[in-house]
Amino acid sequence: MPKTCALCKKSRAILKRPKTGQQICKECFFYVFETEVHNTITESKLFQPGDRVAIGASGGKDSTVLAYVMKTLNERYNYGLNLFLLSIDEGITGYRDDSLETVKRNQEQYDMPLKILSYDELYGWTMDAIVAEVGRKNNCTFCGVFRRQALDRGAAMLNVDHIVTGHNADDIAETVLMNIMRGDIARLGRCTLICTQGEDTIRRSKPFKYTYEKEIVMYAYFKKLDYFSTECIYSPDAYRGHARTFLKGLEAARPSAIIDIIHSGEAFEVSEEVKATQKLQQTCKRCGYMSSNELCKACTLLEGLERGMASSGITERARKRLEAEGPAPDSLRTIPFFKPPSGNPTVTIEVPS
Amino acid sequence: MSACGNPATETDVLMERRPKFDKSRDCVKCKTNRGNIVIRHAVYCKECFTPLVSFKFRRSLEPFVNELPQGPRRKALKASGDLLLAFSGGLGSTVLLDLAYQAYFANRHEEDRTENQQGGKDHPRNAPIWPKGSICYVEICSAFPGMKDRTEKIRTAIASYGSLDFIPLRLEDAFDNSWWESVGGRPSPSDLEVDLSNEEIFISFFSKETIVDPVTSLRTFLSNLPTHTAISRAVPTLVRILLLYTARSTGSSHLLLGTSLTSLSVSLISAISQGAGFTVREEAQEEWASLDVPSPTRKSVRVIRPLRDIGMKECAILCWWRNLNVIGKEKIPGGKEDIANLTKDFIVGLEKDYPSTVSTIARTCGKLIPKAGSARKCILCEQPVQQGIQDWKSRTSIRTLDAAETTSDVIEHSRFISPYLCYACHTTFTSRSSRGSMQSGTTSVRLPVWTGQHLMDAQWEGTNGDGGHEQKNEVWEKRRAKEEDMKNIIGDFLLGDTST
Ligand code: SF4
Ligand SMILES: [Zn+2]
Ligand SMILES: [Zn+2]
Repeated sequence: MPKTCALCKKSRAILKRPKTGQQICKECFFYVFETEVHNTITESKLFQPGDRVAIGASGGKDSTVLAYVMKTLNERYNYGLNLFLLSIDEGITGYRDDSLETVKRNQEQYDMPLKILSYDELYGWTMDAIVAEVGRKNNCTFCGVFRRQALDRGAAMLNVDHIVTGHNADDIAETVLMNIMRGDIARLGRCTLICTQGEDTIRRSKPFKYTYEKEIVMYAYFKKLDYFSTECIYSPDAYRGHARTFLKGLEAARPSAIIDIIHSGEAFEVSEEVKATQKLQQTCKRCGYMSSNELCKACTLLEGLERGMASSGITERARKRLEAEGPAPDSLRTIPFFKPPSGNPTVTIEVPS
Repeated sequence: MSACGNPATETDVLMERRPKFDKSRDCVKCKTNRGNIVIRHAVYCKECFTPLVSFKFRRSLEPFVNELPQGPRRKALKASGDLLLAFSGGLGSTVLLDLAYQAYFANRHEEDRTENQQGGKDHPRNAPIWPKGSICYVEICSAFPGMKDRTEKIRTAIASYGSLDFIPLRLEDAFDNSWWESVGGRPSPSDLEVDLSNEEIFISFFSKETIVDPVTSLRTFLSNLPTHTAISRAVPTLVRILLLYTARSTGSSHLLLGTSLTSLSVSLISAISQGAGFTVREEAQEEWASLDVPSPTRKSVRVIRPLRDIGMKECAILCWWRNLNVIGKEKIPGGKEDIANLTKDFIVGLEKDYPSTVSTIARTCGKLIPKAGSARKCILCEQPVQQGIQDWKSRTSIRTLDAAETTSDVIEHSRFISPYLCYACHTTFTSRSSRGSMQSGTTSVRLPVWTGQHLMDAQWEGTNGDGGHEQKNEVWEKRRAKEEDMKNIIGDFLLGDTST
């Protein structure tokens, strides 16, 4: 006998909800999926009417579904947001090219302006060129640091107040565990925040904070959203860390584990004595981006690349060697000075026709 | 995770391996002997190792012996009551018993005491820190078929610690009114029973017939829990309360547990994974005061884990060198479907490759404090309950469309016990496994003896919850998708025909 939906008690159940184990119908799945994101947004008062919000779009499942849900909720609940797609082109031949196609399709489908910012135009280096220089060992360190700053800079160009990213519940639970195991108390305090904001940077939030990765895939499947799922050709072999495998085991044992870990992470905070000893944020003296040292991480890495000593941003020893060669030459190529959002977009954006 | 989905982009997410030991093979302490053991990258010789372990043991215990914390001037150690040692037969409690006995109870004879009293009984050195010590063992075999009763084996094993009393308990005592009264608990007029078959809410009611035998109640209780994880949390929860009330009724000011650094890390991560982040502090140390009327002799019991700086490996070596016989602990069945088990395997494995991880975990958690205030104490585990958890749960995991059905912290009548449970206990009762229910189908389940009175005593304050969700229609275009890929990920969760 077919089961009836545990929620509406009318339609036939066609799926077992990964988060709760309830057997429900498709319409109810859409409803709970979207409403939980809506609850997350309203509970933490993420947006004000009229906000300009950029969706960090990679073409992958999380950001593709996020763009769709943001658009849906914005219309359904009259958030009054101006939504943009912001994509970073790392310059990886054959990988980013294809995923950017997905983003461009989203631009048309969702009728949202898209800005693509490339590593090449911002740093003068593509990932292809960086890999050619540093090899396949620390490439992701460069890529991660460059991406973070590129998103903020892209957002400043679009003059948005806010970037939303597709980080999901699995990512956050993993980060909680990882930060505890690594003793990174500063990040542990931050990682369950739905919204973070640096001194002069754009707000960043995670509307999918409580959304299970499996449900994002399920939502894309039933809504027939297409996304790009190929791995980067420069992705290291040891792709998933210990914590991810462990988390998947916990989820299999009891599905609520992911949200339970997030609940734990939200329930505690770093005690005041510990907070007092943490490092203060300043701005990078070369590019104006926020930094905990004189030079921000991206400028440090870039200087190493430009001076042919790429590892100086990675190890202490190489850093010393670089310093021994004297200060950076005036002719050094640097990142344009960072200007926080000023009121007017500084770039023309591609508006869908 | 970055946009590309590669966790390695969070620059330093990967943990670095360090060399097995720093610098030389010689003992870091005496610097003369060749080392015999490596503890988290440091080398020690056999002669220096044992004093080191006793030092760590005392360092974790003695600052908490006196009722008030030590001031700048070191005062003599004097506890305000007796000592209760929890003993499971496992590695940690074997080491704990030995260390505690050698330090505080050995070489203490009746004659000595009288002689000392003549010589000057007020001299602090002559007064024992704890006048009396007892060992408490909780036998859990009735809970699981095929498990052997080891009470007599334990009794024999600890016989050499003659001056300590032995208090054997059984897990089913948690459902035994006569035990409850024997430890000074107020008998509640009726037992608390709940309906665990309900998805969202438990409806509690009081039954008048209390002639259910404790073993049957215990088994019904455990077999109605929805997951293996729930069972393996429930057992230590019951053991903990049995120990705490025993400590109180024996006039003990301190309850010592044999939790090693390794097992502390395991229980911290396991607790966090079960939603108990609010009480991470209590996981390491707590000052427990009963929810019940305070006993005339004792208000609170200090729970201390004196081995919390000593790893499992160090415990094993100490046992070996001191010739201690470890009986071993009974394992609760559950395997891969049990979060506590999974965590243990994970942490023990991690400790091999990254020996300092366990101390990092304990140190990190030691810096955390609960964020919000506590509304009340959980009637099951007697740990603080965070405010607003029912609202949080219904907001982040919608389980019902009917607003009226939504549980909330508001209680108009005592139909629900959810508001009186902590997050982790509530999750223990309600969170299901993805493999379907393993419940036995009994609808009414008796809860442990202390819960009835605790519930009646619990005070509540009201806040307004809401749950009105309006669903509007949405229109959206449909598109192609790579169904195969997606189905691989979510296939297990699709029921039969899913064509749209
Ligand atoms: S896997 Fe590829 S896209 Fe991701 S961080 Fe590494 S290089 Fe960049
Ligand atoms: Zn339904
Ligand atoms: Zn509890």
